[in-house]
Amino acid sequence: MTAPNQQQIEDDVWIPTSCGQCYCMCGIKAHRQNGVITEIKGNPDAPTGRGSICPKGLAAPHLLYDPYRVNYPLKRTNPEKGLNVDPKFVRISWEEALDTIDKKLRECQERDPRGLFFQATTTQASEIRFGVIAFMKAFGTPNYWVSGGGLHCGNGAHFMNGIMHVAWSIIPDFAHCNYALNFGCSKGHGAGHVAVQNATQVADARYRGFKNIVFDPFQSAQASKAHEWVPIRVGTDGAVALGIVNSLINEHGIYDAEYLMYKSNAPYLIRPDDGHYMRDAETDKPLVWDLVDQCPRVHNDPLVTRVEYEDTAHEVALTGTFTVNGMECRPSFELLKEHVKKYTPEYVEKISWVPAQSISRIAKEFGEAAEIGSTVTIETSKGPKKIPKRPAATHFFRGSQGHTNSGWTCLSIDMINHIVGSGDTWGGGMGLGAAVGQGYEPTGKPYQIPYPCPDGLLVAKTWVYDHKPYPLRDPKPPTRLDLHDMFPTSIYNAFTITDPRWFEMLDRFDIPYRPDVMVNFGSNSVMTMGNSETVTENFLKKFNFVFSFQLYITEFEEAVADIVLPDACFLERYTPAVSFPSTFSHPQGEDDWGWTIRQPVVEPMLERRDFNVVMLDIAERLGIPGRFYKALNDTIPIRYGGEMDPKYKLKEDGSERYSWEDVTDRLLKDRFGEEHGLEHVRKTGVFTWPKKKEDVYWKWFNPSRIPIYFEYFIDAGEKMTEMWDSYGGNDFFEFDWTRFKALADWYPCPTHTEEDPEYDMHTFYWRTVVHCNSMTQQNPYLDECAQEDPNIYGVQMHKRTAEEKGISDGDWVWMENPEGHRVKGWVSLSEGIEPHHLAISAINGHWGKYMPIAKGKGAFFNDLVEMDLDHTDPLTFNQDICCRVKVYKMDREEV
Amino acid sequence: MDPKVEGQIQTEWRWLIAIYLFLGGVGGGAYTIAAINSFLGEALEPSTIVGLWISFPALIIGSLCLLADLGQPTKAVLAGMKPGTSWIARGFWIISIFMVVAMIHTWLALFGNAGESLLRIVAVVGVIFAVSTMGYTGILLGASKGITFWRSGAVPIVFVISAIVTGHFAIMMGLVLLNTPEALEALRPMAAEAAALVVLEVLAIVFFLQMASRHPDPRESVERLLSNKTFVIGYVLGGLVTPLVLMLLLYREMVGTDAGTILAMSGLGAALGLMGGLILRWGVLRFGALPTLNVAGFEFRRVARPKEPKPEIGLLPPQ
Amino acid sequence: MPRYGMVIDLKRCYGCYACVMACKVKNYSPPGVFWARILKGERGSFPNTVRQALPVLCMHCENPSCQEVCPTGATQTLDNGIVIVEKDKCMGCGACIMACPYGARYSVEEWESYFPEGLELSPYEEFAKKAWEEKRGIGVATKCDFCRDRLDTDSEPACVEACPANARTFGDMDDPESEVSILIRRHRGSVLNPELGNEPKVYYLEPR
Ligand SMILES: Nc1nc2c(c(=O)[nH]1)N[C@H]1C(S)=C(S)[C@@H](COP(=O)(O)OP(=O)(O)OC[C@H]3O[C@@H](n4cnc5c(=O)[nH]c(N)nc54)[C@H](O)[C@@H]3O)O[C@H]1N2
Ligand SMILES: Nc1nc2c(c(=O)[nH]1)N[C@H]1C(S)=C(S)[C@@H](COP(=O)(O)OP(=O)(O)OC[C@H]3O[C@@H](n4cnc5c(=O)[nH]c(N)nc54)[C@H](O)[C@@H]3O)O[C@H]1N2
Ligand code: SF4
Ligand code: SF4
Ligand code: SF4
Ligand code: SF4
Ligand code: SF4
Ligand SMILES: [Mo]
Repeated sequence: MTAPNQQQIEDDVWIPTSCGQCYCMCGIKAHRQNGVITEIKGNPDAPTGRGSICPKGLAAPHLLYDPYRVNYPLKRTNPEKGLNVDPKFVRISWEEALDTIDKKLRECQERDPRGLFFQATTTQASEIRFGVIAFMKAFGTPNYWVSGGGLHCGNGAHFMNGIMHVAWSIIPDFAHCNYALNFGCSKGHGAGHVAVQNATQVADARYRGFKNIVFDPFQSAQASKAHEWVPIRVGTDGAVALGIVNSLINEHGIYDAEYLMYKSNAPYLIRPDDGHYMRDAETDKPLVWDLVDQCPRVHNDPLVTRVEYEDTAHEVALTGTFTVNGMECRPSFELLKEHVKKYTPEYVEKISWVPAQSISRIAKEFGEAAEIGSTVTIETSKGPKKIPKRPAATHFFRGSQGHTNSGWTCLSIDMINHIVGSGDTWGGGMGLGAAVGQGYEPTGKPYQIPYPCPDGLLVAKTWVYDHKPYPLRDPKPPTRLDLHDMFPTSIYNAFTITDPRWFEMLDRFDIPYRPDVMVNFGSNSVMTMGNSETVTENFLKKFNFVFSFQLYITEFEEAVADIVLPDACFLERYTPAVSFPSTFSHPQGEDDWGWTIRQPVVEPMLERRDFNVVMLDIAERLGIPGRFYKALNDTIPIRYGGEMDPKYKLKEDGSERYSWEDVTDRLLKDRFGEEHGLEHVRKTGVFTWPKKKEDVYWKWFNPSRIPIYFEYFIDAGEKMTEMWDSYGGNDFFEFDWTRFKALADWYPCPTHTEEDPEYDMHTFYWRTVVHCNSMTQQNPYLDECAQEDPNIYGVQMHKRTAEEKGISDGDWVWMENPEGHRVKGWVSLSEGIEPHHLAISAINGHWGKYMPIAKGKGAFFNDLVEMDLDHTDPLTFNQDICCRVKVYKMDREEV
Repeated sequence: MDPKVEGQIQTEWRWLIAIYLFLGGVGGGAYTIAAINSFLGEALEPSTIVGLWISFPALIIGSLCLLADLGQPTKAVLAGMKPGTSWIARGFWIISIFMVVAMIHTWLALFGNAGESLLRIVAVVGVIFAVSTMGYTGILLGASKGITFWRSGAVPIVFVISAIVTGHFAIMMGLVLLNTPEALEALRPMAAEAAALVVLEVLAIVFFLQMASRHPDPRESVERLLSNKTFVIGYVLGGLVTPLVLMLLLYREMVGTDAGTILAMSGLGAALGLMGGLILRWGVLRFGALPTLNVAGFEFRRVARPKEPKPEIGLLPPQ
Repeated sequence: MPRYGMVIDLKRCYGCYACVMACKVKNYSPPGVFWARILKGERGSFPNTVRQALPVLCMHCENPSCQEVCPTGATQTLDNGIVIVEKDKCMGCGACIMACPYGARYSVEEWESYFPEGLELSPYEEFAKKAWEEKRGIGVATKCDFCRDRLDTDSEPACVEACPANARTFGDMDDPESEVSILIRRHRGSVLNPELGNEPKVYYLEPR
């Protein structure tokens, strides 16, 4: 199976590139011998990995050469669509495929270009920024989503961590942290973010005596390596976090007054009437109370401002009542202090099943570990500087975030960091992939130093997508198919588009067009989002024409694709920017910056073609290549920090055609100078430059503050309510607009309010290091490895629970949710799981006929995930992924 | 897929090795009995002749089974390179020499006109190697440090006794097939011996399993052995209890003494006994469990879930 | 001459299977063969449960029971302490597999594809099959050889290089200043099941 056009190459080389088996995108090297990739290993030159690698990356040769890969364009010949329908695909030529697509897109353009919907996989995140984003802009559609991505993935975390850390996620400064609270993520333990570097860092930290306290319903990898495993009831992390905040402030009296005074809006005076900031009449800026001069001052008055730690300033009030403009105002910190009092350890225990004493004890240990008041001196580019040392941190991701309380839960967990002053300082709670850096010195790019808004709050300079997490844009009359324009606190949502009343809704919200053509890049949304039937019937089948770039014929293609285009995989293509924008693919810490690229190790085999190349091709056919290039030029400063030098800009009149090699070369030269183009970077696969310490520990070098009081949510909520009501939106959905408020709270999920005692088990999913989402189960190396482990394909269940239910190890069971959706699996019994929980890994349980290795392995969790508003966080639209189920043995015949 | 957990058991040595060990035992056992007979001056007794006839082919077939089980049978010539440490190498020589001796003995006894004294010398040498062969089949397992179940010193004892029992039954079987008056004559006394030998085997096996149950890993083997139907029915009931009963009945004349009955009962008892001997070896091999590894209070029992079946070919994307 | 050994630090290891996969990918082993393997263990009862992964491989025993039973001399200990199987001498009797108390040895009767039967081998699998058949052989005993073909070029074994937690260290046990010696001394490294008397050269550091 060699490409006909690929001559037999006699060679023996190691090509450096970037892994694409998950979105960490580590630097790797691939061994090519006589034209065949024979081995993969880590790339020691790349800070994203430093030579380490995970099993998925190592197993990639099987992805490249899998006989089940799609190698030719395919056309559906069965007009019927749906789950388990035989698509009757036949091979067609690229010409025919592109002609058809061209025709459909032109028709769509004529009807309304917004009828084009882009769906993409999270896993190939770096490609999305080119072929997807640029094409959308060129074509003129705002409609897209990263399939399962945003909904399950980071809708809560990215938004909230963007506000608090200008980062995609948060992580302890493992290199110096002594005590960390992990709320449902595997950072440093296999899956998760920047996986292999974090694993190195956390292993080193363990030797330093670093204590990790892991809240998880089961003994995950991180819990098994932890100082302490705290079994927690799913979806209750927010309550625990607020309990810890309460215990810190009100029980132990531990908080970092300096940090709160100068680095947060804790001292901002709040009006008693409407909860808004008390503002200076003249400048409209929020006011703080100067304790020295006993008078109000605007927040950035130099007298009350400390940018660097060694600056001096007057102290400002964090508690007390002060009369300003005739009103009795109180600092927001005091409101928070009062507000969290209801989260007593006993109350929290009732919700979360975490013992009250543990909460109080952990809060104390954490507070003490933060060593408030201590400092260290770091060597910055401007000489030695003193900064606070706060070696205590919290972090979280999927586990605690995947609930209807997502937004506030994320904030509550991170709040703990800010109470003890550990945000983005030495040893503390850092932004992971924080957009903070002065760039490569000779060019100053990528420049991404955040700055304060007029209210003093932190604003990202660069961000991964077009609208930044802060400041919030105003809600606008909807134009998008998911009404997203009205909801500035989310990226996209599922409850609108998967609702049976979707089209009625579009009518009501004056959206003049309908879903028309869908382009799918990679994602398998039939499996990755939620109940497969809901997704397919209510949403995917509504498109007139679906074409999909894929490596395999997945359940998605079987169900709805009209044309399947054989994409090149990550080992067969160029990607100009892989580790930037720095999200999950760039390590936190003092190691160098590294801009990694992808370059083909082999030419695309057979008739596979790189998605990005084809999108350019399609743009050309549609006569919009200039717009495509313009869109690229436009997005680069937003995502990659710094305007393009005109010399390297792509011509926007469409007079020139660029390959992705060219684009890579130009981007590199623009960022790193003429001599550091592709020719230079391809030798090591990465361009590195030193990270400045003040960019790592940027908190006390930046004049911005973070909010602990979300004053602006109040307005946002009001504006949204107003707009919603003006359309009569309540006929469709009744939002809990009360969540748009200034102070954090915990809210129950349907899981917590389920009353029928029959549904006595909580289910949730977790990531195994061996699989990535829904895509690696077809890799036979990884599948075999997964079978070595008792828990990857098994459903973990507590021994005692099983005994009570008459279930024994290895039995097949049904798990059924109150809505009547059920999934099957075999149980793996253990003592390592909270007795009321069932743990299911990854997105297993494939049924596609074209992925025989993956087929039938493990349990398919997502059929239990309901896609309605009840199971959505009203603040961030994050999807609820904890479910209540009853569990019962399967009949023998059913197995 | 049946995802039940099982402790990991060896998968390398299966039926062919069981047959090899079994036939080695039969050969050794049959020869020993024959040789002792001839030693006692009963060189031309049918049982002696049958014993000699059996041993050599049994050894040859057994060795062929071993050969067939080898991954690289052509390299079998190297098998004797390291007799200093390796029991397989020793076994190679023992069995090879034993085969030669058994062949010579058979030749001399049947066609030769060798003198009594030469036969005796050959028989002495032969018995030494026959016993060594029987012992070797057990020691080979005992030398396998990876399988604790086999390492309790009892395996060689059980295997030697079983070898004699099966050798004995093999001779009875031969006599039944021979079906001469002399043969018929010999069967009843042999039944008595058989019963005694089986009792001995029962004692040995109980001792062996008891010894093995003292430690967790071999206990696992014992438990799995005793819950295995083939083993319990085929060996315990079929291979020990039934032949014992048959032999006792035969010996105590509790059933008819007509030729048909004797032949039938002897034949049946011998066949079952032989089958039992084979199943015993298979079972002991099959359920050899790997040792539990211990670190820091954790037990790593190499639990394996049976692998998912090899995937079906499914559908390939249209090419 | 160095005497090679390895230290596996259980405090670092989080059971990620990278070593397992690195070994597979480097040695092209067919299905079912895990020269490097991860075992998973659990102790205690809820909520005081602890799980731990145990990476295992050939222990390159000082007193290798595999070598003792090998009738042909195929299994040998090199001067550098590495226990190897000389493919051309091995007759595939399996005695060594039974003799190894650590389950480190595997033999394959036929190089099997990882994909369903009836498919053409992919170029990668073709390469893998050839590499396995040439270097390891069919019907013979195989096992970890400490990646000895890589040691000439001075690099570490594949599993050591891959490990994201730096849980594996490879080096000269005879040199008191080597990293392995220092680790064993400093953290009181121990071997698996010392009562077996095999004297492994793979040492473990305690998980907690
Ligand atoms: N049960 C359960 N559900 C989940 C999750 C979970 O852990 N468990 N995780 C959730 C999260 S956080 C996320 S981000 C989403 C992820 O959901 P998706 O974004 O849909 O991601 P994957 O499952 O990784 O699917 C990747 C798909 O892209 C294809 N692919 C891989 N590489 C390429 C390529 O180079 N080109 C093309 N064209 N296709 C490619 C693969 O074949 C695979 O079908 O799932 C969410 N849903
Ligand atoms: N190996 C591997 N790596 C991956 C991926 C993959 O699929 N495989 N996917 C990538 C993607 S798309 C993402 S988004 C990241 C996600 O990376 P992480 O956010 O680190 O996600 P998980 O590894 O699933 O860790 C979530 C943990 O939370 C626990 N948990 C579940 N519910 C709750 C809860 O309510 N509360 C608490 N406290 N814990 C809970 C789960 O048991 C699990 O151990 O990983 C990325 N990296
Ligand atoms: S962590 Fe992700 S990117 Fe890194 S090697 Fe593993 S699969 Fe590849
Ligand atoms: S690669 Fe390292 S951390 Fe991962 S399982 Fe192996 S030894 Fe443990
Ligand atoms: S671990 Fe096993 S194979 Fe390796 S040297 Fe020791 S006995 Fe031999
Ligand atoms: S299988 Fe090969 S290496 Fe092992 S004992 Fe037999 S001949 Fe020796
Ligand atoms: S040293 Fe080499 S051969 Fe041995 S387990 Fe590690 S990778 Fe495999
Ligand atoms: Mo994700």
